[in-house]
Amino acid sequence: MAQVLQALVTGLLTGSVYALLGAGFSLIWGVAHVINIVHPALAVGAAYAVYLLAARGVDPLASLAVVVPLFFLLGVGFYEGVIRPAARRGGDLVLVSMVLTFGLAAALENVLAAVWGPGPRVVNVAYTGRAVQLGVLALPITHLAGAGLATVTIAALYLFLHKTFPGKAVRAVWQNPEGAALCAINLRQVTSLTYGLAIASAGVAGVALALIYSFSPASHLMWLVFVFLVVIVGGVGSLVGVVVAGMLVGALTNLSTLVIPFAWAPFFLFASLGVLLLLRPTGLFRR
Amino acid sequence: MRLSRRQVLKSAALGAGALAVPRVLTHGAWAQARPIRLGGTLPLTGPFADTGVWVERGYRYWAEKVNRQGGLLGRPVEVTILDDASSVDRAVSLLERLITVDRVDLILGGYPGTAAAAQMALVERYRKVYISMGGHMASFRRGFKFSFGGPPLMGQWWYEGAWRWLSNIPKAQRPTRAAAITVNNPVGMSARESIQDGLKRLEIPLVMDELYDLPLASAEPLVSRARALGADMFLANGFFPDGVLTMRAMKALDYNPKVILQAIGTLIPEWVTQLGPDGDYVVSGTAIHHRLPYPGIAELNQVARERWNLKWAPLYFLFGYAWAQVLQQAVEAAKSLSHAVLVRYMRETTFKTIAGELRFDERGLPAPYEYATQVINGEVELIWPPGRRSAQPVYPKPPWRR
Repeated sequence: MAQVLQALVTGLLTGSVYALLGAGFSLIWGVAHVINIVHPALAVGAAYAVYLLAARGVDPLASLAVVVPLFFLLGVGFYEGVIRPAARRGGDLVLVSMVLTFGLAAALENVLAAVWGPGPRVVNVAYTGRAVQLGVLALPITHLAGAGLATVTIAALYLFLHKTFPGKAVRAVWQNPEGAALCAINLRQVTSLTYGLAIASAGVAGVALALIYSFSPASHLMWLVFVFLVVIVGGVGSLVGVVVAGMLVGALTNLSTLVIPFAWAPFFLFASLGVLLLLRPTGLFRR
Repeated sequence: MRLSRRQVLKSAALGAGALAVPRVLTHGAWAQARPIRLGGTLPLTGPFADTGVWVERGYRYWAEKVNRQGGLLGRPVEVTILDDASSVDRAVSLLERLITVDRVDLILGGYPGTAAAAQMALVERYRKVYISMGGHMASFRRGFKFSFGGPPLMGQWWYEGAWRWLSNIPKAQRPTRAAAITVNNPVGMSARESIQDGLKRLEIPLVMDELYDLPLASAEPLVSRARALGADMFLANGFFPDGVLTMRAMKALDYNPKVILQAIGTLIPEWVTQLGPDGDYVVSGTAIHHRLPYPGIAELNQVARERWNLKWAPLYFLFGYAWAQVLQQAVEAAKSLSHAVLVRYMRETTFKTIAGELRFDERGLPAPYEYATQVINGEVELIWPPGRRSAQPVYPKPPWRR
């Protein structure tokens, strides 16, 4: 029983971090119809920022004070400087943006490798490898911190989208851009804001991932797998969907290993998700 | 016979000229000689770049040294390394381009094992000598004639030193139950091959033997099962990222086996520099080590200190240098760049390298190595064989530092 609980809880904690990484990716895909392949690479960039600050004694959680505003501005700049000019040239934006952002991800990987070297980095803090003991359960503090960041960030994004006027404008643009424009919603501002928030959330995800995982310039390729997984299963553009999918992926992966060999866990996971997508091709929460 | 002053001066000038001409000609000839071109591919970007760059540095330092010492067969060497971006397909197509389009004279071995194994099949077709880590034992069982592990990175031999070290511990103090987790790819599977046999020799039952695919998202389920099964020996046959996750999970769950064996993660300097004390006491194997007494090791340690501010030459730097060193010795002894001549020579002689003396058998392999290492206080120390020990092994592993 202790093993089941341990597997379930650590699965949910890591799943929430995937959800955090997928949230911004899903938002951009849903609102702007851009498959932003560079999203996890930006999270890796944030992880390096955390590493840099941690080496100077700044706790990763405190580094959010720098990372969040910086990445928000980066997101706005990314939209204004890269995506908007590409969109104005016409063509299939989904395809064009996918190729464009894939190229940017490769370029960012090379820049990070040039600056930091290709070797892996590990953020060590006082609570790394420590756990909160709850009866038979050992909850790694880094995982708890990552899950906490995920909860706060996704909740803030959710409240913003559902309870504020700019947030409702973002949703309106996602659901019906022409209708939103007729209601005097400034599409450019709203989209710019969406990018800012999404990339800021990638920054937070980078902080959470740096607490748990080692990373290198090429790590974004590994993280991209999880991003696609949770966004497609959850339903493109759905924050609730991303959260549920993240938790589902984390819990299923860990729990399945208790009854089947660990090597079969990815097969079990992808087979389950395949069945799920056959039943709901648009994902769990996309209407 | 009396010589006039003019005749003396003329003779002196002619003599001086005669002495000077060969030197001028020799130097000019070396400088103008067509360089010997060596080419290969390495993962300079992508997931294997962290180690690929060190192999490249090993090759480049070797070339620099050879050129400084007058070249190979009296000709300068020129190294071309193409970035295969950690893709096996690219490693093969780029190497084929180097052979057929660029027509390099000699081939430098690729990395990692998956790329090397694929390139071994390619060079066999073009009949080119290829010295690399190989793709573990499976790649040397394919009957290739042109490929050599000089030295190889052989998963099947990896724990041999550790088994021997453990067999010297009194039986009552040895671990009693082992748990193993292995990355599900050729590297991990090669290391796993030796586990059954090694543990059988030590009479230690393997109570858990799990495979996992990369990326490993969470190590806690594996570690908590090993702990629940009472395994006091833990084998983690994985790379750096999954190795870090595993070590942290072991610490968080306060799992303290008597010994932790780790196959690959400890091979890069980051295990020590990045993971810090949490990476201590892990036992592994090696084919080369910066503390071995072979000629050239001290010089390479010095280079690593001066150029990269490292205490020791990293393992893959040593590997790259050793592979090039074997090729150099083959060319110098055979006095030929003909691959047909070189391949004959490769199996007939003993090579003196920074990895010790290597003599290749029919498969292209040297004798198995039996080194065991342990990370002790942030240093990768040699703990086996006893005659090569750089530090006393720490056993059992102390509990995690809190």
